[in-house]
Amino acid sequence: MSCPAERRLRKELLELLTNPMPGIYIDEEKVAKNINEWIVTIEGAEKTIYEGETFQLQFSFNEKYPFDSPTVLFIGKIPVHSHIYSNGHICLSILTDDWTPALSVGAVCLSIRSMLSSATKKERPPDDMIYTRTCSKNPKKTKWFFHDDTV
Amino acid sequence: MSFIINFIRAVLDAMLELFSFGRKGISNKLPIFVKTNTGKQISLNLDPEWNISNVKRLVAPSLGISPDEVKIIFAGKELEDCTRISECDLGTQSVLHAVKSRSRSEIETKSKKCLETLFDDENVGDVPSKPLSSTLVDLQLKGEERRDSESNIKAKAHFFVHCPECKKLCRGKLRVRCNICKGGCFTVHRDPECWDDVLVPKKIQGHCESKEIACMSDEENGLPFAEFYFKCAEHGSGGEKDYAAPLTLIKMNLKKVPCLACGDISDPVLVFPCVAGHTSCLDCFKLYCISRLQERQFISHREFGYTLACPVNCENSFIQEIHHFKLLEKDYYDRYQQFGAEEFVLQSGGVLCPQPNCGMGILVDENCNRVHCQNGCNFVFCKICKQGYHIGDCLPESAISNNMSVSEFSVNPSRVAGARWDEASKIAIQVTTKPCPKCRTATERAGGCMHMACTRAGCNFEWCWICQTEWTRDCMAAHWFG
Ligand SMILES: [Zn+2]
Ligand SMILES: [Zn+2]
Ligand SMILES: [Zn+2]
Ligand SMILES: [Zn+2]
Ligand SMILES: [Zn+2]
Ligand SMILES: [Zn+2]
Ligand SMILES: [Zn+2]
Ligand SMILES: [Zn+2]
Repeated sequence: MSCPAERRLRKELLELLTNPMPGIYIDEEKVAKNINEWIVTIEGAEKTIYEGETFQLQFSFNEKYPFDSPTVLFIGKIPVHSHIYSNGHICLSILTDDWTPALSVGAVCLSIRSMLSSATKKERPPDDMIYTRTCSKNPKKTKWFFHDDTV
Repeated sequence: MSFIINFIRAVLDAMLELFSFGRKGISNKLPIFVKTNTGKQISLNLDPEWNISNVKRLVAPSLGISPDEVKIIFAGKELEDCTRISECDLGTQSVLHAVKSRSRSEIETKSKKCLETLFDDENVGDVPSKPLSSTLVDLQLKGEERRDSESNIKAKAHFFVHCPECKKLCRGKLRVRCNICKGGCFTVHRDPECWDDVLVPKKIQGHCESKEIACMSDEENGLPFAEFYFKCAEHGSGGEKDYAAPLTLIKMNLKKVPCLACGDISDPVLVFPCVAGHTSCLDCFKLYCISRLQERQFISHREFGYTLACPVNCENSFIQEIHHFKLLEKDYYDRYQQFGAEEFVLQSGGVLCPQPNCGMGILVDENCNRVHCQNGCNFVFCKICKQGYHIGDCLPESAISNNMSVSEFSVNPSRVAGARWDEASKIAIQVTTKPCPKCRTATERAGGCMHMACTRAGCNFEWCWICQTEWTRDCMAAHWFG
């Protein structure tokens, strides 16, 4: 018998493959190789400043998932956004403090996509320079001061 | 006249039945005890196919009365003549109680009863009925659930306990006794309908026939109260003193609710005491506890003890009955107890021994800075700086490693051999951990930032590794890293 984390992830995967969400695509092959590492492609929504761009999110899960939040960061081309650091770290409270096991990969992708959609200006966070030089490799080790309450 | 004939016939029947044991063998017989209120104890082997009237005929001679006059009481209820033994949820070595009916009219109502079981709604109090266990099936259900489950469970009650004997989650059985004499020959006046009826003392009255003179209480009507308790249903009954803690959050998953974490539908499940009734399978519950335990995220609740709330962070969802944590494997449960004790020490103003591999909780004298790890490693240390005890002001952090010899160790010969290793790990621990400036819990530094956050539940203090005070914008500017 597989561990609960793995069972949960298989269910989430099946759900996302049978009922895909608009603008969110799962790299099935990568997941098939290792259920604990997902690559999800996010399309910038129409009529937003990211229209026509695609970005990749990397999810890593540990054996305590879903009681522990997944580690989520952008890889490759990093969207320029006031809550996304140039090293791919995302300042989003549901990824750390406000995570609950009732959330899911799908819910995280949706929040990130709507965070992108609500932006009106392409700019990095004000502390991007110093943060990216000093932070831990793991964004979960950062004690975030959430930039505002709307995220 | 007919009474005497009946009596003789009963004795003969009883003897025949006793002889028939020899012929049938003992394969599926259930050994039980019958206690009388005259102090006798009779051991019997019952055929599960028999009904209570058979039992009465077996017991009547020892009481010197006719079977009609015998009342059989089990788990708080008088049992009807036509109830089959197999319906009674008796385990081997269970104890039934047999008493003489107090009045003639009681006997008459009773003999009619069996024919009219369908109409026994009035007069519920004293009327013999089904065994308590089967009337309790829906104690854990409410309203609507009760209706739709009636058809699909004819089964027995499903209470769960942590059994100290089997050392695991077991099906439990509810039992009742008199709150005055603790005797089990007790009839309840109404069925318990919810957990409160069972767990809160003095909710339900009844009468006690354990002693020849009925027990009386100080209440207005003089009746004693029912005292409910739980036993494990999975090992042979260890007699009347064999208790187990009820796990009130463990339920049969009749509604087939998927686990909030893994999504599987399993049975039984743990339902958190939040309004939403968030449901978790037992594997995921353990996982949840372990992950919170490792991060010291359990909460010391003033009323309930060291506990957790619903993982979805619902309000008012603390687990009140901490026996639920006994579901953890022994190592984790031990850690749970240790952390719980440490938390208690910290909250009562005590300190934890700073020696690596010790961590003993020590309650301290408010006016004295010298702390002796008396029941642990014997280390003597300063309450303020957590270094070896010293006279005068605490030394700055950097001076300490060079000045170790100044500290006064209480020398314990058996520990001298290990001292070098202790010394080495003491230096190692200074490099990687520092106490939280607020609660003094050792915190490891992870990653490159100097920005620390105490992981201890209820503290969460954000502090600076360099200044060892609260993290400020100045810290970011001056030494965020490096
Ligand atoms: Zn047991
Ligand atoms: Zn009594
Ligand atoms: Zn589960
Ligand atoms: Zn909840
Ligand atoms: Zn010690
Ligand atoms: Zn000191
Ligand atoms: Zn602290
Ligand atoms: Zn500082």
